[in-house]
Amino acid sequence: MNFEHVLAHHLIDHKLFHFMVGPVDLGLSPLILSMWAAVLILTAVTSFAARSQSPAGRRMRGMVEPVVLYLRDDNLKPIFGDHTDHFLPFFLSLFFFLLMLNLFGLVPFTSGTTSNIAVPAAMAIVTFVMIVAVGVKEQGAASFFLHLVPNGVPWWLWPVMLLIEIFGLLGKCFSLCIRLFANMIAGHVVSLSFLFLIFIFSSMSHAVGLGASPGAVGLALFAYLLDVLVAFLQAYIFMILTAVFVGMSVHPH
Amino acid sequence: MDKLLSPDPGLMIWTIITFLCLVLILKKAAWGPLLGAIDEREYRLKEERLAAEKARSEAERIQRELEEKLAGVHAQSREMLAAAAKDGEALRAKLKAQAEADAEAIKQKTSAELAAEKNRLVAELRGHVADLSLLAAEKLIGKSMDEGVQKVVLDGFFKDLASSKAGTN
Repeated sequence: MNFEHVLAHHLIDHKLFHFMVGPVDLGLSPLILSMWAAVLILTAVTSFAARSQSPAGRRMRGMVEPVVLYLRDDNLKPIFGDHTDHFLPFFLSLFFFLLMLNLFGLVPFTSGTTSNIAVPAAMAIVTFVMIVAVGVKEQGAASFFLHLVPNGVPWWLWPVMLLIEIFGLLGKCFSLCIRLFANMIAGHVVSLSFLFLIFIFSSMSHAVGLGASPGAVGLALFAYLLDVLVAFLQAYIFMILTAVFVGMSVHPH
Repeated sequence: MDKLLSPDPGLMIWTIITFLCLVLILKKAAWGPLLGAIDEREYRLKEERLAAEKARSEAERIQRELEEKLAGVHAQSREMLAAAAKDGEALRAKLKAQAEADAEAIKQKTSAELAAEKNRLVAELRGHVADLSLLAAEKLIGKSMDEGVQKVVLDGFFKDLASSKAGTN
């Protein structure tokens, strides 16, 4: 059994049909369907929690509300101050979207959406657009690009610094993408690696493979549980770093 | 493995579209009502806290007023007690002086009455003694003396008696 082939089978998307719009294939795939399923569940759960007055709705609200309040009061308010309410829906959606995709990828027979680099890359592009759009809206286009370069830089260094800062901005978004992608794919790789120990040992001897299987399954389970923690952590890190970057373009100093 | 690191543009576009739709939908369907309810609750709690603080400050003000009034009443009662004690002392002194004056008057009156009674008794006794003496003298000499003589004799007798009594004392 080829490890790379199994991993590729789990993580690489396969188009169900092709729908070419120019050079881009917008045909649906299992990952897109998984993402839509996750989004539907997320919409249903949060709407139910926000609107329902039934005991189940109240219990659900009791779970969602502390998270919302924590993100608003302890994370976003220190960054955005009076602008918090304006940005709150975007960042709450970002956190819960990534969390739902991360967790959905851990459910058996579903696809790990955030383990495919296209999804973190798309979210990084959203972040980049958000940073630039908010910066231009709050400061004006000229002021935004002028404030990219720190004060006190000599004039002859200014063009180089502007280039460096633009690359820095792109680098921030690139790092967001790679961090989420690497952390989420690592969980799958580690789990599969532990499970592959069974096949490696059983290729030596069936008895050894059988003996190694409880340990391998235990380790894979441990990696899986760790992945649940990583799912929350990475969604939070992506959201808070995006907030910090956007906050920097709202208040350049 | 290269495919793992090459992003699919179609998936990226679908992700962006899905996320933007999700932001719009959740803003209307979830975050709006949820944050509205949270804000309303926080506003209500703030109002209740302000009302409670106002009620507490009102209660404290009333308590302060009552304490001030109580202190005033205490001071007033102390003043009244002091005035009553002073009046009592003055009355006591006045009554004592009056009682002493009354006692002195009664004493003097009694002394005067006693002296008068004594003088009356002495005069009465003198009368009786004189009568007895004259009776004895008449018996002794066998005839009576006229009143002028009696008076001269008796006065001389009592004079001697008084002087002898004074000499004895």
